[in-house]
Amino acid sequence: MAAVQDGPMELDTEKETKPEILSDGTSKLSGNAASGTLSSSPLTAGGAPKQEDQQTLIAVLQFLRRNKLSESVEILRREAGLEDQEDSQTLDGSGGGKGDRDGGEANSLLSRVSITSAAAPQIILSTSVTNEQLDVSVVLSAYSQQGDPSLYQVYYSGLKNFIESVLDCHRAELSQLFYPLFVHMYLELVYNNHENEAKAFFEKFGGDQECYYQDDLRVLCGLTKKEHLKGNEVLLDFRTSRFVLRISRDSYQLLKRHLQERHNNQIWNIIQEHLYIDIFDGMPRSKSQIDSMSGSFAGEARREVNKVKVFHGLLKEPEIEVPLDDEEDEAENEEGKPKKKKTKKDSMGSKSKKQDPNAPQQNRIPLPELKDSDKLDKIMYMKESTKRIRLGPENLPSICFYSFLNAYQGLTAVDFTDDSSLLAGGFADSTVRIWSVTPKKLRKVKSAGELNLIDKESDDVLERIMDEKTASESKILCGHSGPVYSVSFSPDRNYLLSSSEDGTVRLWSLQTFTCLVGYKGHNYPVWDTHFSPFGYYFVSGGHDRVARLWATDHYQPLRIFAGHLADVTCTRFHPNSNYVATGSTDRTIRLWDVLNGNCVRIFTGHKGPVHSLAFSPNGKFLASGSTDGRVLLWDIGHGLMIGELKGHTDTIYALKFSRDGEILASGSMDNTVRLWDSTKAFDDVETDDFTAATGHIHLPDNSQELLLGTYHSKSTPVTHLHFTRRNLLLAAGGYSSQ
Amino acid sequence: GAHAKMASPKTVPKDAQVMMQILKDMGITEYEPRVINQMLEFTYRYITTIIEDAKIYSTHAKKSTVDADDIRLAIQCRVDQSFISPPPRDFLLDIARQKNQTPLPLIKPYTGPRLPPDRYCLTAPNYRLKSLQKKVSSSAGRITVPRLSVGAVSSRPSTPTLGTPSVQTVGTKVGTPVSLTGQRFTVQIPSSQAASVKSATPTTPTVQNVLINPSLIGSKNILITTNMVSQNSSGDSTSLKRKHEDEDDYDAL
Repeated sequence: MAAVQDGPMELDTEKETKPEILSDGTSKLSGNAASGTLSSSPLTAGGAPKQEDQQTLIAVLQFLRRNKLSESVEILRREAGLEDQEDSQTLDGSGGGKGDRDGGEANSLLSRVSITSAAAPQIILSTSVTNEQLDVSVVLSAYSQQGDPSLYQVYYSGLKNFIESVLDCHRAELSQLFYPLFVHMYLELVYNNHENEAKAFFEKFGGDQECYYQDDLRVLCGLTKKEHLKGNEVLLDFRTSRFVLRISRDSYQLLKRHLQERHNNQIWNIIQEHLYIDIFDGMPRSKSQIDSMSGSFAGEARREVNKVKVFHGLLKEPEIEVPLDDEEDEAENEEGKPKKKKTKKDSMGSKSKKQDPNAPQQNRIPLPELKDSDKLDKIMYMKESTKRIRLGPENLPSICFYSFLNAYQGLTAVDFTDDSSLLAGGFADSTVRIWSVTPKKLRKVKSAGELNLIDKESDDVLERIMDEKTASESKILCGHSGPVYSVSFSPDRNYLLSSSEDGTVRLWSLQTFTCLVGYKGHNYPVWDTHFSPFGYYFVSGGHDRVARLWATDHYQPLRIFAGHLADVTCTRFHPNSNYVATGSTDRTIRLWDVLNGNCVRIFTGHKGPVHSLAFSPNGKFLASGSTDGRVLLWDIGHGLMIGELKGHTDTIYALKFSRDGEILASGSMDNTVRLWDSTKAFDDVETDDFTAATGHIHLPDNSQELLLGTYHSKSTPVTHLHFTRRNLLLAAGGYSSQ
Repeated sequence: GAHAKMASPKTVPKDAQVMMQILKDMGITEYEPRVINQMLEFTYRYITTIIEDAKIYSTHAKKSTVDADDIRLAIQCRVDQSFISPPPRDFLLDIARQKNQTPLPLIKPYTGPRLPPDRYCLTAPNYRLKSLQKKVSSSAGRITVPRLSVGAVSSRPSTPTLGTPSVQTVGTKVGTPVSLTGQRFTVQIPSSQAASVKSATPTTPTVQNVLINPSLIGSKNILITTNMVSQNSSGDSTSLKRKHEDEDDYDAL
């Protein structure tokens, strides 16, 4: 922090340090590259100073002038070649939005320069007024003073009155401004050490905000000093990233006109600096439409983010000879489907050999080849699927509930293998336990010495390698040093993954029941991990706000999916293994491309942390559940919300689609399992005519019709759901005696 | 039951009442009663640490009393040690960009179990055989505490597979029957034979590493050249990548 004390001698050093501090400041703020943030170009010696440096010089000039160092002012002005700076500069394209100058306070200081994309007339430069910062460099930080702190309440009330006076159709949209403005103004007051004004401001206007922001407001309420902000990464990200609002052009014009008419348009400055207004042409949205999409930390998602092409189709199944037996009519065809069944939603592509345009290329990402054992598995799978029950509103699945007794609320994760033969539980005492669901016991492979002795050519060699003496119903895997938050079986049933609070993900062998690898990368609790449907890859997400893609044979991650503003709580692979969905505590769901790590979709709408995700078997849709008790349905291809299922009263931790995608099952902490008619929910979408440009659908409130059944357990929250290959629903949870 | 009745406010000491009020203000309505005690302990410890640090700083600055600046400095210094927050977003975006530029590696076909190089796996034996001494004093029935020497072989000494944070001694944990799964371990036999079962006494330098075949669950004990009885139950060896001969392990008596 360089404070210019006196004279011209210090001037040069001041000039030097300025660009540094500026670039330091900017580097902290260039959070979201996509939103076109700052450019920090250092002062080129001798050449004309660039934009922001010019502003820096002006700032220094003003400071010197205020301290009556007129000679220095002259020298600086001459050397820098600046014009007489009576009016502070602005490069705002619209020509409005001036930082005003109250009588006597004449410091105009630099806040932020942002390069905009061509789409919207966003901020270019806004200068702002401070009235007490003696330390120039302090002002160059993210929250420059926007005016007299005691006037903030006046500004906010002014805006409130204006918004309440506009037409109904615009009011809902403009009301979106309240929350981000409130938070930013409050944080500014706190950051600039106006604790009392901040508290008064909060008390007056905190209660007006939407109900779904109450949790955040409660956290904010506890933050009254600048020191509290440090180290709170979530809030720092909120400060530096732009809150996105979608407003129709008409409403936006109204707002702009109003704010520019006034002299004190501090609010306009804040809007320009911290908000990103995504303007669309069309009808203004209604309150319910807005409510369904809002709730996340950073507002909604910009429309162009969700326009990337996503290959949500499924990969072609390889041709496999299915041995004839009495029950099947057809031995083999392209899909290996027996003729008896009608077309299922998860059939690979169509009957023709043409590539599904929505499906990725087979070799888009490298996938492991099929081994013989995998082919045998596939044959088993196809045989089982012939015996599959067709589910529907008239034909609900039976539910088999596995209650973990004596877990003392320590059950934190459950997973079933795909063929439902093994069940794994992760516990808060850092163990993982595996049970055999079938009567067949769990056995370990013999030790190397004994393996040498067996006859390798015999037919039942796979039986002989197992050590009978180790047969037991369950096995315990110890190794983690913290509660195990997630378990995931590999599709070939050879491996089990577990992720824990100790920051590691461990790979266990299910043949020797020992730990093989510990993957270290997250240094913070890892909340979820999931194997790819083809094996080899797995994804993990944790407290460090990123999700990582690993391969079992690399000790470092292959991809890092960074972008969430808060912890990543749920990670799932798409059925074609080319995309990963992550749900986070920042209430958004992002879809990432495995090939290049880009975020291809952002879905907002949840009002609480997202804890469960499920892809439909045909790959087109995604269902998500969160602490707000709602299940939201998303169309991946179009990037839209297409359904909202209300009914649960507590966090939804388990979501699963049935094998053919006709039924969606959800399990929650309120001890119920609910079944929803997903066919109907998705069918309604096809017929609706939504405007792809604006992406706003009017969601019908049909949760009651879609709810097919509610099943209560006796005080056991549902941790996991799994449909067997024959469409029997298995549920698991830890019995809690309260 | 975890949700026991909360103590009535009148009988609760004042600072506990304050803590309950804080929890209520932060919106936490359901909590086990012991949470208050834990929070109070944490608060007490944190504050005394800060104040002690502040006192040191103020005496260093030759001040007579501790003032706000000292406290601020003390908090500042502790924050980086105790409360580490995740890395900032731009840093994450940066490393993500770098990492995501490299193309996905191709998968070699038919390579057996796809695991990282042995250095990064936990499959290596965590023992090292020294010269085996056949003659060991008979101490039938005496049970020693096995001790892991992890550092020698594994490249990840900080993750012994027993799941304990510390590397060196795992004696206390080993006593429980479920702690080991399939790992071999060394038994260091102090020549003084003074080892007790459950203690984690560090061994004297004159020890010998002996391999013990881990016995099976609940079944007979297997002794190797030492008449030592292993009370730990674990399964068989882990991977087939073992470099040592295994025939030595099976001297059952």
